[in-house]
Amino acid sequence: MTPIPLTAFLIIAAILFAIGLYTILAQRTAVMVLMGIECILNAVGLNLIAFWRFTAPGDYSGQIFTIIIITVGAIEMALGLAIMMLLYRNRQTVQVDDYTELKG
Amino acid sequence: MIAPVVEWIAFGVFAFIAVAGALGMTTTMSMFRSGIFLMASFIGVAGLFILLLADLIALLQVMMYIGGMLVMILFMLLFMHDPGGAMMSTHMSLKGPEKWFSLGLARRQTHGKHPHGQHEGDHGGHGDDMPMQDMSMYTAIKRPAAILALLTGALLIALLVWRPHWAVVHALPDQDSPTRIGELLMGKYMIAFEGAGLMILLGIFGAVLVQRPATPPPAPDRDQLKAAIDETPPPIEDDTLEPEVLDLREDEDR
Repeated sequence: MTPIPLTAFLIIAAILFAIGLYTILAQRTAVMVLMGIECILNAVGLNLIAFWRFTAPGDYSGQIFTIIIITVGAIEMALGLAIMMLLYRNRQTVQVDDYTELKG
Repeated sequence: MIAPVVEWIAFGVFAFIAVAGALGMTTTMSMFRSGIFLMASFIGVAGLFILLLADLIALLQVMMYIGGMLVMILFMLLFMHDPGGAMMSTHMSLKGPEKWFSLGLARRQTHGKHPHGQHEGDHGGHGDDMPMQDMSMYTAIKRPAAILALLTGALLIALLVWRPHWAVVHALPDQDSPTRIGELLMGKYMIAFEGAGLMILLGIFGAVLVQRPATPPPAPDRDQLKAAIDETPPPIEDDTLEPEVLDLREDEDR
């Protein structure tokens, strides 16, 4: 039995990306949209680690990229939730469709 | 090195957990369950990281995402309208994964006033006691979004399968990966590391600044407090203690 190929991991990442895309587009609540973004970031991290493992296992820069991405994801989540709480306090709603100030 | 069969079994289990968790996150009616499903998805991806010999990243994944972000998400869910999904699972007709991932949620009957079949298939229509469009978790473009996501996923997978494979190196990474990562973080990627730290700090400042109330909260006795602070205290009249005179020269001599 052959060891697991790179494509298998990339396919899992592609499925996660598609699910995250669907979540961002279809969900109405701000928290669910943030969860979709997290799902996509997760897929990105999986892609990076898979490529690191299979194409350049001697160079650890791929893992550094993933660490940075996890950091960015944490900051994005914290700021998104803070903005959401502010909007909730001003609007008493959490539906992203109601936040239309920037609509052209 | 573990046998390929064990590797494949572990891969299947973790991939199933990751994908099923993500699918459950987006399809269940209960937002609380969404958070838990997202956690399961993160754990599955952490297992895949371990399979890819990236132990430190797997640990970081569990600690950051599950220890940090899931707590934030579950806290934010307390602000939600109907986080448990009892109302949505009652009033919407569910099929496919939405039904399976919403199993066991409370399906209350509404006072026997409405027969249950009346709401079947009613996603955004008229409601008698509550506005129905507020209860749906999904936007109006749910179906095009699902089609778009399916097409994107199918396109990506097709490209991955049809494309000629990448030049795969059959070498095992160093077993002591945390040391190597630490050396890289403190050496070659110092700027990125420091930038990430600065970004976290700025993110904390931004979150606190956004959360700060624009006007101080109302206090009924603010004027009295302010007057009491501004008032100069009366001079002390009946002070029996001698004022202590500090002799500085003694310190200098010593």
